[in-house]
Amino acid sequence: MLPADWRERLRLNWGAVQARARVRIVASWREKSWIIGDTVFPFLAMSAFILVYRGLHAPRIYEAFVVLGGAMIAYWNNVLWSMASQFFWEKEQGQLQLYMMAPVSRMAILFGMALGGMVMTTSRAIVILTGGVLLYHVPLPLDRAFPAFLLFLLTLGAVYGLGMILSSLFLLWGREVWHTATLFQEPIHLLSGFYFPVRALGAVTAGLASLLPITLGLDGIRQILYGKAAHGLIPLVWIPPLQVLLLVFFLFLAHRSLALMENLGKREGRLTLRGG
Amino acid sequence: MSPPALDRPGTLRRQADVIAASAWLGWQIDANWADPFTFLVFSIAKPLATSLILYFMVRIVSPASATGDAFLFLFLGNTFFLYVTEVMIGISWAVFRDREDYETLKYVYLAPIPLRSYLFGRGMAKMGTATLGVTVALLFGRFVLHLPIGTPHTPWGLVVLAVLLGLVAVAWLGIVLAGLSLVVARHSINLNEGLGGVLYLLSGAVFPIEVLPGFAQRISLWLPFTYWLELLRRLILGRSFSKVLHGVSDGMLWLVLVLSTVGIAVFAWVWFRFCEHVARSRGLIDWKTNY
Repeated sequence: MLPADWRERLRLNWGAVQARARVRIVASWREKSWIIGDTVFPFLAMSAFILVYRGLHAPRIYEAFVVLGGAMIAYWNNVLWSMASQFFWEKEQGQLQLYMMAPVSRMAILFGMALGGMVMTTSRAIVILTGGVLLYHVPLPLDRAFPAFLLFLLTLGAVYGLGMILSSLFLLWGREVWHTATLFQEPIHLLSGFYFPVRALGAVTAGLASLLPITLGLDGIRQILYGKAAHGLIPLVWIPPLQVLLLVFFLFLAHRSLALMENLGKREGRLTLRGG
Repeated sequence: MSPPALDRPGTLRRQADVIAASAWLGWQIDANWADPFTFLVFSIAKPLATSLILYFMVRIVSPASATGDAFLFLFLGNTFFLYVTEVMIGISWAVFRDREDYETLKYVYLAPIPLRSYLFGRGMAKMGTATLGVTVALLFGRFVLHLPIGTPHTPWGLVVLAVLLGLVAVAWLGIVLAGLSLVVARHSINLNEGLGGVLYLLSGAVFPIEVLPGFAQRISLWLPFTYWLELLRRLILGRSFSKVLHGVSDGMLWLVLVLSTVGIAVFAWVWFRFCEHVARSRGLIDWKTNY
């Protein structure tokens, strides 16, 4: 049995997780424009890359790579713009100080953001996958879907863990947050092989890109679903343990980094700066 | 005492002053957070990354075609499309940033300046950064990927003219989205960015429009950017790539581009006024939304 003060702390932090997640889950269904903007349009944008392969008369499996990559891009963009940059937005709107004053861990707030973000983004990912299968008839072998889904969950954990680290790094920044997030968008789409097997980048570049859990996860999911045709980068058996390692490492680093950046921000008075 | 006629809101000189001032403001917001080198790196990362994504997509399917016609076609379309995403979305983002982050839209609105001109100015700053990205991407294509971009007979003057004409259409489309942004919540930027994606798909930026299904091809032929990109490809490479537009003369492409730009401008003018009216009547000028 946990001591009473621990139980109280757990209760408070779990409440913070639920509250922060709830805002996003409710919001994702309250704004109709968001549903369309977050599902139909990204699907159409992704379609352009499917049609590139179609225009090149590529085998149908390459179109499946794009569909899976398109679904994962939704999560990466969510991590960038709604996890990593979120404290910057909150700071600009004067809400960050409320988080700092709340008697809960910042990790709990970020965990809530991550859960809410995953739910928000899953609707977009589902539309992309369903549209890819129904409209473009990309092959998606359902008999291998369960192990792929397990690796996907592991990947999400590691990716959102990375988002927490970025969130702490972005905490003190001003407008460079905006540009840094942009820098992490298309270049990461390239390095992670969202639209083509990452092996095409060459062993060294692809190996370095694999330090990103989304690269590793996507490569593994494609290997589970399509076997050798996925042109995998590293043997599939290595990927789940590597993702577990990355997840634990990122969460540990995020915890340390948040505390460090928060203290630094307090000392330098940069937690309430607006429009910087 | 009334101000001199030239300084009254609505006069051309006043409009030009507003555009120049807001372009400078937009440039400062975009660029003054970093030293020039860092800013340059950030500005060219996106166009280079998207070009390389397409390069690897073509290369993995057929290594031989990575420097061939197929890649050239989509490289040029993708590079010039950067203007559409940067300028069009940039103008609409200015509404969200000013309204919700800097909370200055209400002051801009109260000032005796036309909001539309102010937003045009903000778009001008984006044109600067997009031009930087497009130029670097073209140089990268020419000298690193060894693509045959430009010949001794390429009419670069006409290329610049075509780019400018397309930019006018893009800027007016940005005003359409800015009007929409006045009446929707902040996160609807996804809607605006999504529209950029739809145009990317339908204007055949990265694939020939004959690949599209019939109904989408018909929509594509209604979009000015389809003709704009075809015109730019023809001017730079000296030949047509699209089977669907093969029979359309260069003169006709110019004409369609001019007429559609005028059409978009008229629509944007009316639409923006309507949205402005709705935003005022619902008290949305200083709205704050963030989840």
